[in-house]
Amino acid sequence: MYDGPVQDVIDELGRLPGIGPKSAQRIAFHLLKLPKTEAQRLAAAIIEVKERIGFCDRCCNISENELCVTCTDPQRQTGALCVVEEPKDVIALEKAGFRGTYHVLQGALNPMEGIGPEQLRIRELLARIPEEEVDELILCTNPNIEGEATAMYLARQMQPLGLKVTRIASGLPVGGDLEYADELTLGRALEGRRELQP
Amino acid sequence: MIVKRLWLTDFRNHLTTEIGLDHKVTLIIGLNGHGKTNFVEGLALLSGARSFRGAKVDALVASGKSSAYIRAEVEQNGRSSLVELELAIGGQSRAQVNKQRVKTFRDLGDTVRVVVFSPDDLDLIKGSPLIRRSLLDDALASISSQFRAVRTDYDRILRQRNNLLKQARGRLTSDLEASLVIWNQQLVKVADEIGDQRSRFVSHIEPVVADFYRRVAGTDDEVSLTLDASWLEEGLAKSLLSVQDEEIRRGVTLVGPHRDDLVVLLDQLHSRTHASQGEQRSLALALRLSIHAYVAQVSGDNPLVLLDDVFSELDEGRARRLVECLPDAQIVLTSATGTVPQGVQPGLTLEIFEGEVNGI
Ligand SMILES: [Zn+2]
Repeated sequence: MYDGPVQDVIDELGRLPGIGPKSAQRIAFHLLKLPKTEAQRLAAAIIEVKERIGFCDRCCNISENELCVTCTDPQRQTGALCVVEEPKDVIALEKAGFRGTYHVLQGALNPMEGIGPEQLRIRELLARIPEEEVDELILCTNPNIEGEATAMYLARQMQPLGLKVTRIASGLPVGGDLEYADELTLGRALEGRRELQP
Repeated sequence: MIVKRLWLTDFRNHLTTEIGLDHKVTLIIGLNGHGKTNFVEGLALLSGARSFRGAKVDALVASGKSSAYIRAEVEQNGRSSLVELELAIGGQSRAQVNKQRVKTFRDLGDTVRVVVFSPDDLDLIKGSPLIRRSLLDDALASISSQFRAVRTDYDRILRQRNNLLKQARGRLTSDLEASLVIWNQQLVKVADEIGDQRSRFVSHIEPVVADFYRRVAGTDDEVSLTLDASWLEEGLAKSLLSVQDEEIRRGVTLVGPHRDDLVVLLDQLHSRTHASQGEQRSLALALRLSIHAYVAQVSGDNPLVLLDDVFSELDEGRARRLVECLPDAQIVLTSATGTVPQGVQPGLTLEIFEGEVNGI
């Protein structure tokens, strides 16, 4: 244990995803050695992003305004709605050439990390479907255990709504993230999507 | 497959070991505590399996060092490969084949195949079901990357499902039910695959084990193997439903492949409780020999045989008969005294003293 502010920084850093106690300590001491201006720039960037960026009211992607750029784009084909885990997946699908609309769940089912359906933006998704005349829901959650479980869960929840629910093909590296699939692979996985039977 | 050359750096008590191995039989002599088993363990780790001594990475690194390195030049079908492992304290361990990093350690099993015989093998018969499940799974994993993937998925889904059950705090709500349906579905899919592969494997090796047992023990006792997996018959989906209430009460998954056992019967009696120590030893040897035969047959490769101080535990008859059963593969054996049964002809004899290996 260190004195007041040093320990505070270590504790705060340790709360971030993927940063263990050892890394937290290393980063904290790095910050201590930093010139004051650089440290202030980091602090300002964090405050700035928290003040200016929120989540889109409709698709739950990160957004500067109430509605994000995609949701206000009149060129979008609204019939096909792609459901993804994280904002970075939207970028990957854009690169792969998808031009429909998105819904960002902000995670996947993961009981080990205490993430159940309540913690995901599923209620928001259910509200959108009748409003936006969605014909097809494309489940693009990651091709790993948690992503697969999330897709199956959603397919079940959508059953009473009677719309077409598809899952991207599993040509993606198993256990991988959408993020790591190149545009071509992801494009093909999207094309090869199949109807999901819950 | 032949291991031509082995380097151990800061691995247990081997600080800088570099040694060529005989392509047939290498005998390693050394007093206990000088690093014979460490040497064998290093060789075995090249296959990507966990330490057969159950050691964690931190125990494998020489004291005062942050990483241990195991390197080997391996020849398979006339092609040479360089296999390298870095075992680092506190994670970040890595493995590569011909300088290409492999995704998981288990993938090394496609390049290096090893069957270890150790005095602890008595636990294959006497020990807990976990040890016998690992015996089956390690064998299947060494020949199928698809089984490796399914096995890893099963553990993860099981952990997720157990967490969900724990969070229920004994109450089945409609929300919990909706989630449980999904995790059950996921678990059933991979469990079926594991159950199927395990039971096919067990029925495949049963006659082979029986045959090896008769040859090693020198008797005509009957050996039978069964996979004890109560859920297989009605399917895991149904079995899960029938224990659901109790699972929710106890917060843990009560049926499935993680509770299977391999039952080894000797003349229709449980060998775990009814066989003599000598019979148990012969059964363990027969299991190892069968696994070597199976892996050789399916992979088309001849796994390296590691015999760690095995003969000292056997009476003369059993030792001689074991030698007759050994496959025509590369063999590395260790001995404290240097006396080996008739029929073992080392092409190379090495001596280990305080972690240093020298030819004699
Ligand atoms: Zn939006």
